[in-house]
Amino acid sequence: MSIMVKNASRITMLVLATIIILGSATSCRSKKKLAREKAAAEYATKVEQAKNDLTAMLNGSTNWSLDEQDVRLNSIKSYNIDDPEVIDLISKVAAKISMERAEAERLAEEESLKREEAERKMKESPKHQEIDDQLNSISTSTTIDAANKKIMLSMDQFASPDVPVLIIISQYGGINDYDRPTTISKFLNYLKDKKQYKYTVESVKRDGLGKITELELIKK
Amino acid sequence: MKITYLWIVVLIVGISFSATAQDQLSPERKQAVDSLALEKVRDLSKYISIIGSKETPWSEANRVIDRAEELFMTDSEIGVSSINNPNDINYYNVRKYFERLMRLNYKKVEIEWYNIEYMSDLQKQPDGTYVGVITIFQKFKGYDAEGRLIYQDTTKKDITVFVKRKETQIGGRLIGFWDVLLGDMRVKETSK
Repeated sequence: MSIMVKNASRITMLVLATIIILGSATSCRSKKKLAREKAAAEYATKVEQAKNDLTAMLNGSTNWSLDEQDVRLNSIKSYNIDDPEVIDLISKVAAKISMERAEAERLAEEESLKREEAERKMKESPKHQEIDDQLNSISTSTTIDAANKKIMLSMDQFASPDVPVLIIISQYGGINDYDRPTTISKFLNYLKDKKQYKYTVESVKRDGLGKITELELIKK
Repeated sequence: MKITYLWIVVLIVGISFSATAQDQLSPERKQAVDSLALEKVRDLSKYISIIGSKETPWSEANRVIDRAEELFMTDSEIGVSSINNPNDINYYNVRKYFERLMRLNYKKVEIEWYNIEYMSDLQKQPDGTYVGVITIFQKFKGYDAEGRLIYQDTTKKDITVFVKRKETQIGGRLIGFWDVLLGDMRVKETSK
């Protein structure tokens, strides 16, 4: 009787142990499955988010700066997402950022050149103002004799009566359009005839003696 | 071999496209050229008034004739009409017209141009020259020694304008400029 009880107890223990082992194995498998599913879901979200961000950057619908876009792009690249659409978007966005960066650098360079040019003109303007005043004074002379005297005095500053005078009529896209070039002698007489000076001195070239050898004007 | 031909074709098309693009004037540049041509007509107006004025010294008038002549193309002609016979229009060579104007038999002459505007806009011709017509109205008044107005008329005149892009070297720089030249000046109407 006692042997039977012992055996029954052992069998019960065995059954219990089997149940525990089997139960824990099943639980382990289901945890791994859950973890896999969770990882897959996270990956899918990451891919979806990457696609959204890349598309937004490509369409220019984000308000991120170029540096912020670069950071986001590098972070997406670090995921090593194996999705053809994401890979394609990454290369397009990288090209766009690089193009925009080049354009921004070009604009900054252009702006800096404009500033330098404006500063140069500011420095030169007092010198040119004197010439502008002289030319204007010829055009406002009340008599031919008065104008001729001023022309004679002004001619002293020029290397010769044939010094070229270039008149810019328009400036667009870096192109200067000029009127037919004339000489200082003809131009000063033209001011006398027209009784009008509607230009400003743009640039002046001088020789070693300080005499003007080329005068560039711009039409107002 | 085929690829080489393809590259040559692409290169030629590219060069032609680039040349055409440079050739097309932007509206801003076209406007500057239009204004330049109008300005040349206004210069002529001023020169005619100086040449015609009896107050202008002879040497000055001759200098201005030289400048005025430079505004025109070679062999251009200027029409002259009279209120007494409006349909009889005589055409003179530019130099002859100015010399005649300088010697008009009045004690005092007043010449005024007004309503200077384009009748037909500058249009590009196959040779690259832009051609247009500018209309002007000229009011002429001639006085005798007593200061009496003895003749006056108003004429409407059409001036053909030729504008061409040219280049020249100045101080080692290549300068692109618009050369404006006036052609014939035709009388259209004469009235008192």
